[in-house]
Amino acid sequence: MNNTEWIEVGKTDSIEIEDLIRFDHADKTFCIYRIEDGYFATDGICSHEAVHLEDGLVIDGEIECPMHQGIFDIKSGKAISPPACEDLKTYPIKVENDLIYINIS
Amino acid sequence: MNNIKKISILGGGQAAVYAASEIRKHDTNSIITIFSEENYLPYERPPLSKDFLMNKKKDEELLFFSKDFFLDQHINYVNNKITKVNFDRKIIISNNNIEYSYDKLLIATGSTNRKLKINDKIDSEILYLRNLDDANKIKNKISKVNKIAIIGGGFIGLEIASSLSQQNKSINIIEISNQLMGRIIPSQIANIVKAEHEKNGTKLFINTKIKDIQKKDQNFNILLEDNNLIEAEIIIGGIGSLPSVDLFNNTDLKIENGILTDEFCQTSIKDVYAAGDVSNFYHSLYKKNIRLESYQHAQNHGIIAGKNIAGIKTEYNSIPWMWSDQFNLNLQLTGLCENYDNIIKRGDNIESGIIYFFMKNEKINGACGLGLMGKIGRDIRIASKLIEKNIFVDKNILVDQNQKLNVLIKNKFAN
Repeated sequence: MNNTEWIEVGKTDSIEIEDLIRFDHADKTFCIYRIEDGYFATDGICSHEAVHLEDGLVIDGEIECPMHQGIFDIKSGKAISPPACEDLKTYPIKVENDLIYINIS
Repeated sequence: MNNIKKISILGGGQAAVYAASEIRKHDTNSIITIFSEENYLPYERPPLSKDFLMNKKKDEELLFFSKDFFLDQHINYVNNKITKVNFDRKIIISNNNIEYSYDKLLIATGSTNRKLKINDKIDSEILYLRNLDDANKIKNKISKVNKIAIIGGGFIGLEIASSLSQQNKSINIIEISNQLMGRIIPSQIANIVKAEHEKNGTKLFINTKIKDIQKKDQNFNILLEDNNLIEAEIIIGGIGSLPSVDLFNNTDLKIENGILTDEFCQTSIKDVYAAGDVSNFYHSLYKKNIRLESYQHAQNHGIIAGKNIAGIKTEYNSIPWMWSDQFNLNLQLTGLCENYDNIIKRGDNIESGIIYFFMKNEKINGACGLGLMGKIGRDIRIASKLIEKNIFVDKNILVDQNQKLNVLIKNKFAN
């Protein structure tokens, strides 16, 4: 996989503002967010315990884990509220012709 | 804050360590010392009844912060049992008679298991789960036995049952009241949880009292009041907890179902604070004192105590929230499920989750939900936010699982 490989996630209107969708690719799970500032992507599993963040709450640019309420900043992946202490990995996103692409290389 | 102060923290659990960490964020000078009876750095307790018991997590994975964190942050950790406190002289005294003086004291001694009183021969043989040593003891014992009796059908008993059942142990649960997990859990949710345990082979004796327990050879014979007889190789008790306040019994500290504190974690004695399970604190939203035993409360209350100790006056008004994981089910509770005039149900299967909202005057007072792992988390979190904001809620949206609850907070917060 090279650095310029972009993978299609779906249509831009498939995610509501202040919401997210789960995206699975090559045995990995990602979360794709749409917030006021645009589209962003992080790992899809909480860094605290193995739970899918797709069921979490997106609010004010943050994602809250549905199990233990650890909070991460969506843009930076930074863990900002315990029990989360390990940051989430983030991934570049681009939007072209109403389609969202993620670069996971 | 130019002069160097001594801040001492009694207890080495979650409230203690988050308070210490918070104090250090605002106060780089003071000497911060945690005094704990346990010979471990502060660790997470929820996995003790779940992943730790199922050998999915090791003890070193339970630590809140690494040893390096304590070194970097200059937070001292003293493994010593404190047996006396003198609030007038501002000292705490260890069982080997060392006196430690303090300028400010945080009491975060947590809670202690209530113990069963069956008979003298049996009482000392009943196992309980509170700390890592208890969990190791249970783990060690269960590796050699198959028949386990659990007395108490509350969260801890059921979580242990779930973990041991998944290791193919034969389990009997005896619960004195007429419902699992206490009265605040909606009976439909309690019944789904009960059915899940039964599906996994556990036998439950609800609304059942124990007449007597005798030990014969290495086995216990538990005689129930309805004359049923249960055999067990080990007995685990889970019948609730009491605030750990024995240390303060002969002091002026005001205690009433825990140490009474105001909304700033301040006790009745100057420069003495309390946080976590041990404190019966004033909640400004509910306008009364409440005592909570949960992960989220221990952490957030500890953080707020830390701020207040560091001189940043901050009110604690966090909305109560807790969870329990059993098999692949996740139960969550938020707010207070009492004083309601209406109950609204959302969802009707565990795959997408079932939530009961306890309403008062068209506002949510509390919510309790059950679903497959993580499925109810978002809606319960939204309920917490709606409770916190104390706003009217359209019940037509609450009942309709096709409508996302996000709209409730988006609409209201926009104004």
